[in-house]
Formats: sequence, C-alpha cells, structure tokens
Amino acid sequence: MLALDLFVNGLIFGLFYALMAVGLAMIFGVLKVVNFAHGEFYMVGAYTYVLCAMKLGVPPWIALPMAAAAGAALGWTVERLLMRPLYAGYGSWSIMKDEYAVVVTFGLSLLLVNLVDKIVGPYPYRGPPLIETSRFALGPVMLNGQKLIAAAISIALLVGLALFIKRSLWGRQIQAVAQNRLGASLAGIDATRTTSLIFMISGLLAALAGALLAPLINPSPDVGSFPAIKSYVIVVLGGMGSIWGAMLAALLLGVSESFFAVYVSYDYRDAFGLLILMLVLIFRPQGLIGEKGRDV
Amino acid sequence: MNDARNLWSHRLRTDFRVALAVALALAAVPLFVSSPYWLGILVVSIYFALLALGWNLLAGFTGQFSLAPAAFAMLGAYGTALLDYHWKVPLAIGIPTAIAGTAFLGWLLGRIVLRLKGPYLALTTLSFAEIARVVIGNSHEFTRGDQGLNVRTLMQSRVGYYYLFLAVLVAVLCGLYVLMRGRAGRFWLAIRDDETGAASRGIDVVRYKTLAFALSCAICGLAGSLYGTFSQLVSPELGLLLQTGLVISMVVIGGMGTLTGPIVGALLVYLSSEWLREVGNVQLIVFSFIVIVFARFFRTGLWGLATRRR
Repeated sequence: MLALDLFVNGLIFGLFYALMAVGLAMIFGVLKVVNFAHGEFYMVGAYTYVLCAMKLGVPPWIALPMAAAAGAALGWTVERLLMRPLYAGYGSWSIMKDEYAVVVTFGLSLLLVNLVDKIVGPYPYRGPPLIETSRFALGPVMLNGQKLIAAAISIALLVGLALFIKRSLWGRQIQAVAQNRLGASLAGIDATRTTSLIFMISGLLAALAGALLAPLINPSPDVGSFPAIKSYVIVVLGGMGSIWGAMLAALLLGVSESFFAVYVSYDYRDAFGLLILMLVLIFRPQGLIGEKGRDV
Repeated sequence: MNDARNLWSHRLRTDFRVALAVALALAAVPLFVSSPYWLGILVVSIYFALLALGWNLLAGFTGQFSLAPAAFAMLGAYGTALLDYHWKVPLAIGIPTAIAGTAFLGWLLGRIVLRLKGPYLALTTLSFAEIARVVIGNSHEFTRGDQGLNVRTLMQSRVGYYYLFLAVLVAVLCGLYVLMRGRAGRFWLAIRDDETGAASRGIDVVRYKTLAFALSCAICGLAGSLYGTFSQLVSPELGLLLQTGLVISMVVIGGMGTLTGPIVGALLVYLSSEWLREVGNVQLIVFSFIVIVFARFFRTGLWGLATRRR
C-alpha cells in the first residue's frame, strides 16, 4: 500500500510542479532564455494569498484569484521592463542575450526575495486552507483535503491551458511566435504582445501554484527556490521549451522523486533531480521526449 | 577611432595599471584602519574580489557563463578543512592540494559542459553547484554536514591575513594580466566573441575553454581555501547560490571583461553592504536593484562608464 500512497502523492506533487514548469517552458520556447526569477513568481503568489487572507480577511476562494492576478501583473511588468532588450534588437547586450537574461533574472530573484523579507518579514506564514475537511479517503489512499482540492484545480488549469494553446487564436499565436518569431511577425502577429501574454500566463500559473500550496508549505521569502530548481529540471527533461514535454516530465519527476525519497535517500532527493538535469543536458540536450523541432 | 590608445593591448595595460594602483592603495589601508573588525571586513572583500576575478576570467573573458564560483570556493575550503580534520595534513600541503583539486574539478566540469551554451551552460553549472552543496551538507559522518568544520589558522594576526590576501590578489592579478596579454588571452577573447570563427581559424577551442575553466575554478578554490583558514570555520553556506549572486553582481557593477572591474566592484559592493547593513539590512535589495539597472542600461559597468570617450 505504501507504493500506491507514494505514487498518488508523487503524482499530485507532479501536478504542482507542472504548473510551475509549464510557464518556464513557454518563456524558454519563445525567448530561448531561462527565467531565474520563476521561483519568485511562485513566492509572490503564495504571499499574496496568505497576506490577503490573513491580514485583509479576504475569504480564501477570493484570495486565490487575487494571487493569480498578482502573478500575472508581475509577469507583465518583468516582460515590459526587463525582457525587451532580448528581442527588440537594441543595446549592446544583443550579442550576449543569454548572459543578459541570466544576470537580470538572477538579480530580480534576489531583489524580490529580499524585498519581501524586508517588508513582510523572514518568518514563515501559514495560509488558511481552501477547505476545512482535513482528510479524504481516495480509495485506499488517505489524502489531505487541501492537497486534493489543489490537485483538482491544477488539473483544471493544465487542461484549460492545453485547450487555450491548441484551440484559441491567442494560443495559436503563441505557438507561431515560438516556432518562428520573424515569420509570425510577417504574418501579422504582434510578437511583442504575445510575449507579454506569455509572461502573464506563466506568472499567473506560478503564482497559483504558490497560493495553492501556501497552506501546506508555510511560505517564507526563499520558498520559491526549490520549486524553481524543480522546474528547471522538468523543463530540461521535457525538452526545453516544450509544454507537453514539461507536463509529462513534471509528473514523472514528482513520482520518481517521491519513490527516491523513501526507497533511496531522503537527504539527497533534491540532488537527485539536479543530477538528472545534468545528465540530460549532457547526453540528450533535446530532452527525454522532445524531438529536435517541436511546437511551442 | 583607430588611434593606438584604442587597441586592446593598450586598454588592457591601462586596465591593469589602474587595478594595480587600487591594490597598492589597499596596501596602505592598515596604516589608517586598525580595528580588527574592519580589517576582517576588508579581508572578506578581497576574498570576494578573488572570486570575482576568477568568475570574470570565465564569464567576462571566455564567455562561459558559469553559476558555480561560490561552489568552487566551498570545495576549496572543504578540501583544506577535510585534509586537516581527517588526516592532519599541514596547511602548507593542504592548501595547494585543495587548489589542485578544484582546478581538476573545474577542468572536468569544463570538459563536461564543452558543448553547452547560454542557458544550458548556466543550468548545468547551477546543478553542479547545488549538488556539491547538498552532498557536502548531507554527508554528516565525513563533513559534519551543516555544522561545518573547524580549520586551523595560518596566523592569528588580522593585519598579517590582510596582507596575505592582498599579496594573493596582486599575484592573481599579475598572472591574469600576463595570460590576457599573451596568446591564451587572445584565444579566450576570440572564443568569447565567436566560437565557431575561432575554431575555424585553428584555435584549439576545447583546450582553451577547459583551461579557462580549470584556472577560474583554481582561483575560486584558492580564495575559498584561504578564507576557510581565516574564518576557521567552513560550512556549506559558502557555496550558497546567493554567494554566486553576489559575485556576479560585483562583476556586473564593476565591469565585465576587465581586470579593474571585478576588484572595484567587489570592494564597493562588500564595503557598502556593511554600511547598508547598519542602515537597516537593505544591502541585498539595493545591490540587486543596481545590478538590474546596470545590466539593463550600463552593460559595461563602472569601468565602461569611467573610460567612455565622449
């Protein structure tokens, strides 16, 4: 029964990882850069949720969309203020755009962590759960109520995102820009606005992941660093930039990590994912499932 | 624009002279500052200047954007500390061994990431750094984990340590200048600017890239191992990603791809962060903000601003 328990819990964590990683993959797909401040989108979501619910007395079900809005706003701002040199072609960073992106997102991550640390304080907060019932029986597996609700919302979001990318006009524009920025612009797609949209979506998803997990993890200012590292692993594993690869890899990582923590070593569970990342980058840079040319 | 002063070798010479002047000015500091506290702060800022120079060799001169400088400092510090703790190896042997060890690890990492560029390189080196930290933090029997290890010290005198660090800084600076002026430096710059082009002109890219990795990591290992004997305690915190962030901000603020930039950046950032800490613990907020602004608008850093021709 332990194995089933581990499997279900790993799968649920995989869903949360997927919320994070999908946004990172979309940013990579379109700009070919890694957003090192992605964990801070998550952190901002968790804090918005917790502070709105606790300090302002907003009901949890309303604090959740507020966190999403905060994440989207942050994503938009980051794109508007910092990401433009990556594709607008001005400034001397254009030949070193990878380096620019690393420096600027790394700096942003430090800035946000320390701003929150200074303004809100370094102590962890515990958010109110979305649902009072603490334990659910899912067949033979006992689950925490918040975890189950959060997992359900994550599934809905991921399915919604998949439909949005596949079917909607904006989603198709995103795919087009990811495949070929210049070509998409020539076809009349506003590539700049699309990039903005991508940052908003990815900020929104990461912030929601943070908000959904806030009652389980007690956010502190540096709470984003581990989910961020997980999402790097996932994005690499799924083939950099592939949304579907990221979703699959997230579930894979969630499950294998939960087994690794119990059967091999709890202390080294975080090193395990990073080792995978290094090995994949070295031996199979296109990812486990990715092919050389892929969508988004 | 084609006058001789604009040639790379001339710019490098000016750069080196300014850096040397800064180091000489530092040598006079103990005449005015006698408080052990401030001397300690200065030693730490020179430690960061060494890391910044090491990282700059890789990122600024060779174009290999590694996220592992702090991890190599941690490895250097642990190399010395573990040799001392388990086998009672004297520091005079332990420190060179640790430096050689980090150089070898750097060479190995350089071999591994040879084909990777940009974000891929950043992620791989980041994973390497985090794995090293997690492994050291969790090998409780061997490294005492997060409790850290006590290390013997080379000497008790703060002033002595200050001059030791300064001498090492000057030595590294001169070494880098000689390398950058010679064949290796030009090859590194060529690799940074256009790797394919460099290879097509017959430069042994593999060899020079791994050389840069080995040297850069050796400098970081040297800094870390000396720092360990200075603070007499090494812990996995030396390798935190935050430390790497500090090193990067120092180089970006000072000026990437220069010799003076990393040194001035390190001194400026670390000394004023001491001051800002007293103001109210806002140093990291201020510096991360400055880094973003510099990266966005003044890419060449302070050095570039200072030497810009109107």
